[in-house]
Amino acid sequence: MNDKHGLLQHLSDCVVNMEDERVVDVSRAYVDAGHPALEGILEGLVDGMNRAGALYDEEEYFVSDLLLCSDAMYAGLAELKPHLPESEKRARKIRVVIGVVEGDTHDIGKNLVKIMLETAGFEMYDLGRDVPVEAFVAKAKEVGASLVCLSTLMTTTMTNMGRIVALLEKENMRDAVKVIIGGAPVSPAFAKKIGADAYADNAVSAVSVARQLLAAELGQMARDSRDA
Amino acid sequence: MLDEKTRLQKALAREPVDRPPCICPGGMMNMVTRELMEASGLFLPEAHTDPVRMARLATAASNARCFENYGLPFCMTVEAEALGATVDLGTATYEPRVVGYAIDSVAQWERLPPFDAGTGRPGVVLDAIALLAAQGGSVPIIGNLTGPMSLAGSLLEPVTLYRELRRNPGQAHAFLDHLTDHILAFGLGQLEAGADVIALSDPSGTGEILGPALFAAYELPALARIITGLRQAFPQAGIIVHICGKMHKVFPLLAGLGCDALSFDAVVSLKKAREHLPQTALMGNVSTFALESGSPDKVAALTRHCLECGVDIVSPACGMGNASPLANMQAMLTTVAGHTPGKNHARHSDS
Repeated sequence: MNDKHGLLQHLSDCVVNMEDERVVDVSRAYVDAGHPALEGILEGLVDGMNRAGALYDEEEYFVSDLLLCSDAMYAGLAELKPHLPESEKRARKIRVVIGVVEGDTHDIGKNLVKIMLETAGFEMYDLGRDVPVEAFVAKAKEVGASLVCLSTLMTTTMTNMGRIVALLEKENMRDAVKVIIGGAPVSPAFAKKIGADAYADNAVSAVSVARQLLAAELGQMARDSRDA
Repeated sequence: MLDEKTRLQKALAREPVDRPPCICPGGMMNMVTRELMEASGLFLPEAHTDPVRMARLATAASNARCFENYGLPFCMTVEAEALGATVDLGTATYEPRVVGYAIDSVAQWERLPPFDAGTGRPGVVLDAIALLAAQGGSVPIIGNLTGPMSLAGSLLEPVTLYRELRRNPGQAHAFLDHLTDHILAFGLGQLEAGADVIALSDPSGTGEILGPALFAAYELPALARIITGLRQAFPQAGIIVHICGKMHKVFPLLAGLGCDALSFDAVVSLKKAREHLPQTALMGNVSTFALESGSPDKVAALTRHCLECGVDIVSPACGMGNASPLANMQAMLTTVAGHTPGKNHARHSDS
């Protein structure tokens, strides 16, 4: 079954079924059959990851399942990406800085958000965990990020989120950089209180929240790529 | 009126009590705040490594009329450090945390150093418990254990751990079995030293991360083995299990665990938990966010809600933030102490 539609479905299924070895074979078969890599990524691998995300949202899949699905997606991406046309490899993406704030090492949630945002086409800069306030701002400045995502699981460390927003304001970066926060102790009310733009409840909703906040920029990029 | 220890023991056994106890176990469920450190003149991180300071700081919350127990240690890195993880003991504000893992894969578990409960920080904990026990009195001593999945995720990068639970089940089971032996040994040491109750906290073992299949395969048998082992040697000891996160998918599995009380964080509805777990004492679950950032009135209202849901033991839903005001903590105990069991109350009405 080398028809494009069947292979795309197969790529997607490999991701949903967490088959990180088989997805490599299917990706090679897809490329060998001469099908376009970009479509394989978006309508195969990313489609599978989105289906996995929906299953997670429905509580059919759990955090550990989503991690294994992403392993399969990344294994497939490693095969398909080298076959992307040069223009696509160079295409500008919206840049996002993500990390767990200082004092906290709980990073499972942050990792999931990173995976889902990457799946949605954002270029992710992951600072890891236990990240000092200044490091978020410095990285956002360095890469020209449009969005900073902050995570914590502890009440003790959530105050660092407000400090990051304040430092972005002080550096006059707040117009260009949106801030989303997430994690068990924080809430939409807390986001408002510290001057963040939004709260995201889980990794799947983080994608829709990010798209909403960056709608203007995403629209502009879509127009630019159409005109190019 | 019952004394604190008797009330907690009865609540754990689901026997009639005058009112539920109000406790905070310590360990992962931290009860040491900045104001308590200032009041007692004992500070972290020093009290993590000195048995005399640890024992005295463990009494601070009870002395300040916040909670009706002593609880120690003050973090969940004791076992991990003893098994080779690199730990930063933190500051007066930040809790101790793992900064370097001991192994890179479940398959390397045999490289972990032998666990000796009598030395290092486990030894500090046992000495501190013995000091409190020697002092006597009516306040129950709660010793704390880090659960198997959280300990595993402190020795090995958690993402690798969760992946290998599926990819390498043979070695993953061997690794968790090995950790379970050590946790049980440390728990037995704590009871031997004089702890009245053991709180076993496994925030990373949540159904929200593992899902029902992995929870049943790994988490349940490990917890059950620790509980059974503690019971066989110390039948009179109380045993509390705390797990964080959404748990409704695994409620039915928890019924057979064999602990006295189950504790959940604030995302779990106590009413729903009660429906699935009619026989188990339930502990919880006053929001630690409200405890840190809310008013005493808000904390009192949340405490009343827990009581109305039929909770057997009132406690914070998770570890408390360092900046939680004393007035908020005291509002919990004041509310519980003034509680008259009513018709909504599951069990205390018959006392």
